[in-house]
Amino acid sequence: MSVVEQAGAGVSAGRATPRGQAPLHGGFGRRLRRDLGAYAFLLPYLLAFVIFTVIPVVFGVYVSLHKWSEVSGDQGFVGLGNYTALLSGTGYYGSEFYQTMGNTLIFVAISVPFLWAIPTVLAYLVFQAPAKPLWRILFFYPAVFSASAFGTIWSYLLATNGGSVNTLFHVNIQWLTSLPYAWIAIDLATVWATMGFNFIIMYAGVTQVPRATIEAAQMDGAGSWARFRRIVLPQLRPVSIVVIVIATIASFNLFVQDLIMTGGGPGTSTETISMSIYQEAFTSFNAGTATAMAFLLAVVLAAIALVQYRFASRRS
Amino acid sequence: MSVTSRSTPARHGAGATGRRPGRRLRPGRIVLILVLAAVGAVMVFPALWVFTTAFAPSNEIATGALIPAELSLYNLQHLLATAGAQDPIIRWLINSIAVSGIAAIIVAIIDSLAAFALARLTFTGRTAAFYVITSSLVIPFPIATLLPLYLEFEKLGLLDTYGALILPYTANAFGIFLLYQFFKGIPAELQDAAVADGASRFRIWRAIFLPLSLPVTVTLGLITFMNVYNDFFWPLVATSSPDMRTITVGIEIVAVGQYSTNYTALMALTVLSVIPMLIAFIFAQRRLVEGISFAGFQG
Repeated sequence: MSVVEQAGAGVSAGRATPRGQAPLHGGFGRRLRRDLGAYAFLLPYLLAFVIFTVIPVVFGVYVSLHKWSEVSGDQGFVGLGNYTALLSGTGYYGSEFYQTMGNTLIFVAISVPFLWAIPTVLAYLVFQAPAKPLWRILFFYPAVFSASAFGTIWSYLLATNGGSVNTLFHVNIQWLTSLPYAWIAIDLATVWATMGFNFIIMYAGVTQVPRATIEAAQMDGAGSWARFRRIVLPQLRPVSIVVIVIATIASFNLFVQDLIMTGGGPGTSTETISMSIYQEAFTSFNAGTATAMAFLLAVVLAAIALVQYRFASRRS
Repeated sequence: MSVTSRSTPARHGAGATGRRPGRRLRPGRIVLILVLAAVGAVMVFPALWVFTTAFAPSNEIATGALIPAELSLYNLQHLLATAGAQDPIIRWLINSIAVSGIAAIIVAIIDSLAAFALARLTFTGRTAAFYVITSSLVIPFPIATLLPLYLEFEKLGLLDTYGALILPYTANAFGIFLLYQFFKGIPAELQDAAVADGASRFRIWRAIFLPLSLPVTVTLGLITFMNVYNDFFWPLVATSSPDMRTITVGIEIVAVGQYSTNYTALMALTVLSVIPMLIAFIFAQRRLVEGISFAGFQG
């Protein structure tokens, strides 16, 4: 692999050098021009990166260390006060934080296993079936629905009176206003709409499993289930971890379909951490508490992603 | 590894299974197809119900019929005819398409330029820049930056503008990562030859790397389009006037507002909102699948 070391249009052709060996013979001026030229390519992205990622993160940390209201602005430095109030679990914010975090964990626990297992089994089945493009479209097409669209759709399908599901099965379940059905309804809608994305990744994973290994197991008389469990599943480990990380992060961020389908109800039993952050920020105008909550959530999510990826790379 | 070399074994494997002699008639195969068909039916029926509700004649829904006797555009026409200043549905749709389209084009261009520099140019601080940019992939968007971004846009006086709706999506590290991997796989000889001919770095990007990466770049644009089009949280907080809303926020507003019990109108609106995505999906399905598979493997 080579590099382009030519500094600009006015300079004649540069010389290709092996990657990693900085062309020092050019002197300082030449190196400077080389660097400035390269950073010109990076500049548009770096501007966006700094303005819309770095500044919000740094500014967010600053706000979270203050008592801050959208209405009256900065009302003084409180150190880690916002964080300790949340983590202590006492007082209004503390109990709300643990309650909505607990609700969110319930959803993660009931959604991630399905968002991994269903796509994995389907990927293995489709791999052996004819008409692969047909199955792929059938499982993946709900990706076109935004969360507000599929939340609205499932509110309609699961309506207690006249909802298609209750009509079809001749039952009278209050899907959206009673427990545990409210969670089942949100879970059902989410799995229906988003599992196709994971299916695509798992399917790509299944096609990478060496055919010879599967065939050898077949020769030895291993049944379809045994081949899946002993040969295919272990090989899918790295891809499974990617899917589980994606599903975990998405489930922790549960917001829109929940808002539309149950509004956090019945009571506050399906109110998630994202809803609570949204309310603190834009209804109660408690920016300091809201950003502290958001960063605690962000730290949890980043830690999960890092631990799972580290785990994956060590094993593979 | 490049996208093309990744997807080849997948297609080869798929073909090999179908061609195996004697597999088609086994009873296990029939069970397999029945299981997939059952799951497929579960996937299809919700959308089918929604579409038939949306296109049912006005009186049909009252009978509770799952499949209406005839299809009609009544609900859609009624919805558009009654849309007022508070719910300018067509404007929401145009806002969504314009915002997602512009964001997708910006992301495709600036990510391609940046990925080219990171993958194929030598400069001081290259490794550091790469690690800083890709480490931002672990920041969970939008939740971590939503409120600070809102406060930032408030300070700049840019809330409730198209700038607010488009610009935050342009910091897209995923695209850099995707194109970086692709550019790494392009043979060095192509670049060396262009250097020997005296081509500038911009010309090398424009004439070699951009055309070669066009399928991946288009995939990135489509994924960005779909993400922005379907986003909800940011357009909800960044806009306040009815004219600046996007369709996803619009659906939520009318779903919990005036149409909360008028399901035929609501389903017609939902169907309307999905049409641009459906068109994008039909044209891009294969590319999307390859892009997602590739991204999944790069992790």
